[in-house]
Amino acid sequence: MSRVEEILNIANHIPPFPKVAMQVMKMLGDPHVLPKDLAEVIRYDAAITANLLKTCNAAYFGLTRKVSSMDEALVLLGQDALKDIIIASSSARFYKGEAGGAGYQLGQGELWKHSVATAIMAKSIAPHFKGVDPGTAFTIGLLHDIGKRFLSSFVAGDFQKIMDRTYIDGLSFMAAEHEVLGIDHAELGSMIMQKWEFPEEMIEAVRSHHDPEALNKAPLTALLAMANTLVISLGVGVGADGLSGTMRGEGLKRFGITALELDRYLSNLLIEMERAEEMMTLSN
Amino acid sequence: MKLIVGISDMKIATRPDEELITYSLGSCIGVALWDPAVKVGALLHYMLPDSSIDKEKAEQKPFMFADTGVPRMFKDIYKQGALKERMKVYIVGGAQVMDDSGLFNIGARNQMIIRKMFWKNNVTITKEDVGGAVNRTITLNVGTGQVKLKISGQGEVEL
Repeated sequence: MSRVEEILNIANHIPPFPKVAMQVMKMLGDPHVLPKDLAEVIRYDAAITANLLKTCNAAYFGLTRKVSSMDEALVLLGQDALKDIIIASSSARFYKGEAGGAGYQLGQGELWKHSVATAIMAKSIAPHFKGVDPGTAFTIGLLHDIGKRFLSSFVAGDFQKIMDRTYIDGLSFMAAEHEVLGIDHAELGSMIMQKWEFPEEMIEAVRSHHDPEALNKAPLTALLAMANTLVISLGVGVGADGLSGTMRGEGLKRFGITALELDRYLSNLLIEMERAEEMMTLSN
Repeated sequence: MKLIVGISDMKIATRPDEELITYSLGSCIGVALWDPAVKVGALLHYMLPDSSIDKEKAEQKPFMFADTGVPRMFKDIYKQGALKERMKVYIVGGAQVMDDSGLFNIGARNQMIIRKMFWKNNVTITKEDVGGAVNRTITLNVGTGQVKLKISGQGEVEL
């Protein structure tokens, strides 16, 4: 088996995205669904249930009193917050384990931290991107680097070759990754998203999140590229790939964001991450 | 003992067995100060140049911004007996993702402000490693004054 085949084979055997999450997403679109109907479905997934209770009290979700039961949480949390929590606890299980980002020289938990930070950033800037739902922005932030999780061990195996292509030959880390392994984490990630049956616009956003032209592409693609680049700039969950890469285009003008606002988003991110601390340590 | 300085934080250390460390400086800048006579060290990890974007946040987290964090850092280390004339000064970080619109030029702005502040106040930079597109970690040994720089994906070197 060639290496690309070996990598694709792993992608094909990734467990499905939790059914409960997919079901809850569908139900949330239906105005007639009651909290008790949701509770019935959620209870089937022990990790989601545990994480829902743990996370809903995070300052980030803004509940004014402490919640101790799922029924209570479902009544008090808005649909948007509920959706974010369920997606977060469904995604966290795929990032578990030490191997998470070791190939990229990320410490344990750092790939997840980067993903949560990107989700928070994506959601905050979403109002500037016409037609992008903040919940979708949050989800795409959490899942954009899922390819790294599964490419990590292959990157580790050929690390020196990739670094040489980056530092000696001036390729971006991802271009080197692609050249040496035959596939890069964005491409692999988009295949996983496809297998999980996420909508096409999300698959495309993951595929193009390092594309230098991303800021000129579809709103969700541009949003993800911008959020990810800002989080990388801050060094949150950044490994050997560093700040390598290029972004072109007039992103700020196109989306009506001023430089001042951008600085504010950056300074807010740190505070929001502290407020969302419970999300950093979700159980699998 | 290792003392970790987080993003938007600053720590001072006075014991010779202490090491100040700050991880993952992307566009942010790490400033290390060390006075060889009194053997006191300080390490700052600031994120943005200018606190005027949010005065309230600057009060809550003065070390988030260069214009509030750097003066405060110097004041605090002077209280420990350090003198400007004797101090070794190191700056690292200020990297950025390449873009042609200046959208992600936080690294360059972070470098510019500290140079301006140092120039105005007659502070000389002993050594620096700034810019590029790499992710840096810096360690200051309080006992020896040794500063180590680690670039992720490469090794660790003495600055």
